[in-house]
Amino acid sequence: MENQKALERIKNYSGRPVRIMEVCGTHTHAIFQYGIRQILPDTVHLISGPGCPVCVTETGYIDEAVCLAKKGAVITTFGDLVRVPGTEESLAGARAEGAKVRIVYSPLDALAYAKSHPEERVVFLAVGFETTAPASCLAVKKAKQEGVGNFWLLVANKTMDQAYRTLAGSADAFLYPGHVSAITGMGIYRELVREGISGAVCGFTSGEILTALAVILKRLQEGKPFAENCYPRVVTEEGSPAGRALIRETMEPCDAVWRGIGTIPCSGLRLNSGYRAFDAREAFDLPEMHSRPNPACRCGDVLMGRITPEQCPLFGKVCTPADPVGACMVSSEGTCSAYYKYSIR
Amino acid sequence: MCVGLPAKVVRAKDGTAIVDATGAKREISTELLADVNPGDYVMVHAGMAIAKITADDAEETRRIMEDI
Amino acid sequence: METVTLAHGAGGAQTSDLIASIFRSQFDNAYFTADDAAVLPAPSGRIAMTTDGFIVQPRFFPGGDVGRLSICGTVNDLACMGAKPQYLTCSFVIEEGFPLEELRRIVSSMGETAREAGVVIVAGDTKVAGKGQVDGLFITTTGVGELLPGVNLSGKNVKPGDAVIVTGDIGRHGCAILLARDEFGIEADVKSDDAPLWGAVQSVLDCTKEVRAFRDATRGGVGTVLYEIAKESGVGIRIDREKIPVDPAVGGVCGMLGLEPLYLACEGTMVCFAPMSQADGIVRILKNGKYTANAAVIGEVTEGPSGRVAVRTQIGAETLLPPPGGELLPRIC
Repeated sequence: MENQKALERIKNYSGRPVRIMEVCGTHTHAIFQYGIRQILPDTVHLISGPGCPVCVTETGYIDEAVCLAKKGAVITTFGDLVRVPGTEESLAGARAEGAKVRIVYSPLDALAYAKSHPEERVVFLAVGFETTAPASCLAVKKAKQEGVGNFWLLVANKTMDQAYRTLAGSADAFLYPGHVSAITGMGIYRELVREGISGAVCGFTSGEILTALAVILKRLQEGKPFAENCYPRVVTEEGSPAGRALIRETMEPCDAVWRGIGTIPCSGLRLNSGYRAFDAREAFDLPEMHSRPNPACRCGDVLMGRITPEQCPLFGKVCTPADPVGACMVSSEGTCSAYYKYSIR
Repeated sequence: MCVGLPAKVVRAKDGTAIVDATGAKREISTELLADVNPGDYVMVHAGMAIAKITADDAEETRRIMEDI
Repeated sequence: METVTLAHGAGGAQTSDLIASIFRSQFDNAYFTADDAAVLPAPSGRIAMTTDGFIVQPRFFPGGDVGRLSICGTVNDLACMGAKPQYLTCSFVIEEGFPLEELRRIVSSMGETAREAGVVIVAGDTKVAGKGQVDGLFITTTGVGELLPGVNLSGKNVKPGDAVIVTGDIGRHGCAILLARDEFGIEADVKSDDAPLWGAVQSVLDCTKEVRAFRDATRGGVGTVLYEIAKESGVGIRIDREKIPVDPAVGGVCGMLGLEPLYLACEGTMVCFAPMSQADGIVRILKNGKYTANAAVIGEVTEGPSGRVAVRTQIGAETLLPPPGGELLPRIC
């Protein structure tokens, strides 16, 4: 079997107990889907960090989107966001009441829809990390170039580099997200190594995840901080300069609230001065909307790897995928949602 | 986050390409890539090619495991 | 363009014209009646009876249409009980302004599919609803079938040690509809599996009566069927990820949109539960069938925990199949 060598390495790990945090929702999903936790020795703990853009998007953002829909905008969005509850209701709820909510595969499809429906006012919900941001940036750049006047972004994009620093104390090493790294390149991880933060960039097949875990365990035993690229077929040292340039051309860093964690300085993106005209918040004169999280919800501790979902008093009782309370239950890739769906109760 | 799918470039023109993932075809943007030709494999996310793929996953993991 | 008008549903001369010109010509058989009810010879044994409503957008899609679907759905429900489909009735609710030519094509497809499935359509009803009151056309079909003697099929019969068999590759109908709606700009050569399966079920039951249950994996797909059966029979189920037949193009579409093929609808694929000793024989028979060439054993029934559906993964570990979760939403970011 292809993965046998990595599997053996992991099973035979004999070092001190270690905590490895994956910070990508698709990793969380894949790790459960392949059943990787079952083959780990007791000394290797996988922690699911805040890697899913839907999970870390605060409720106020959904409220903004619902508000836009009720003002008559056509909301275009990835399917991921449709069921996420806002303070009063989700986009699915707004849709049932007649709001126009269209699920798209790409921000570029949202732009194409706006161009072919000039009578409608179209807003794309721009969430996601470095991987997803360039497509939204390209859509808004094209909209400006082509003078499209009925297309806006509601931006809640985030960037990962500051988040690693916030999370550094929670794990011995990170399983770095492969597709984010395709854009960022290895540079940010080289900087993190200098600050003593370790990790390995990892792909998404079972073999790639096992291999990255085997590499991490080996390097941790060697004792020195490291940044390994275990996904070089997709991730290069320099990443995608064109992708980063596109982000810089249209957006600028800002402080961002991460649901469950709080504000992380310089970890968000917003449209820059050249693209303000495409900001849905300004165009639709949205009021400030901030959420009031349920005080009993311990999503922050789950996202920081301090507790497992089962240790939260709400988990599986009042907080379920059908009726989620906290950040980690709302997305199908959230840690609590994955635990709920895949664990035996 | 970031569902990605490897796909083969079928046609490429002016910053866009038609890609094929085991029979599922779709137009994507290739503006992030300098040079894209039919036959190349790319990683696709949200309608954009985010990287060219340079090796097969099994071959790559084998090489990495040999190194450690 | 000729269209359906409210007068077509008013019960007068225009209703008669519509029935004569469109329905009677396609459904014509000895029992098809203009009276208030069809009068039919009674089967000698037990009968099975079922009803189902059909709404689909678009109404025509690669591999089928709403007419074919409305026959296959009811025929397959009867077949799942081991009942040879015999008589069908159909009820139409048509939106005012619906093109007559399209109605003719749909009814023609129903007639053709009924002949293929060996059932006769013995009675029907047509109502016309005002513009905007329904979305185009709704069809409801009701079917009666005669149970084969010696057959006892039920979702409650399944026992630990049984094999889990799918009669074909999964998820093609759901995928074909998703592509036909063209919401995601994806193209793929995927046709709906929409097909009448009585022939396949009969060939299996002719060969062995040792079958516990058939269930057609329509809305909710194979994954939903597995959870239903595990609950109804109070057993566990374990399937093997690498044995599940999925057309590569369906896999590609699912990969692009982050969808699980086990939860895509099938309209010509059933899940069959039978003692493991019968499994190879059943698959061999199915592989010779017109619509079941991709049949495969995908797993087995376990002691439990009751209601649990597990998946043996690519790396040999075991994980839970995420339970059905309502509307399928593409997952991108």
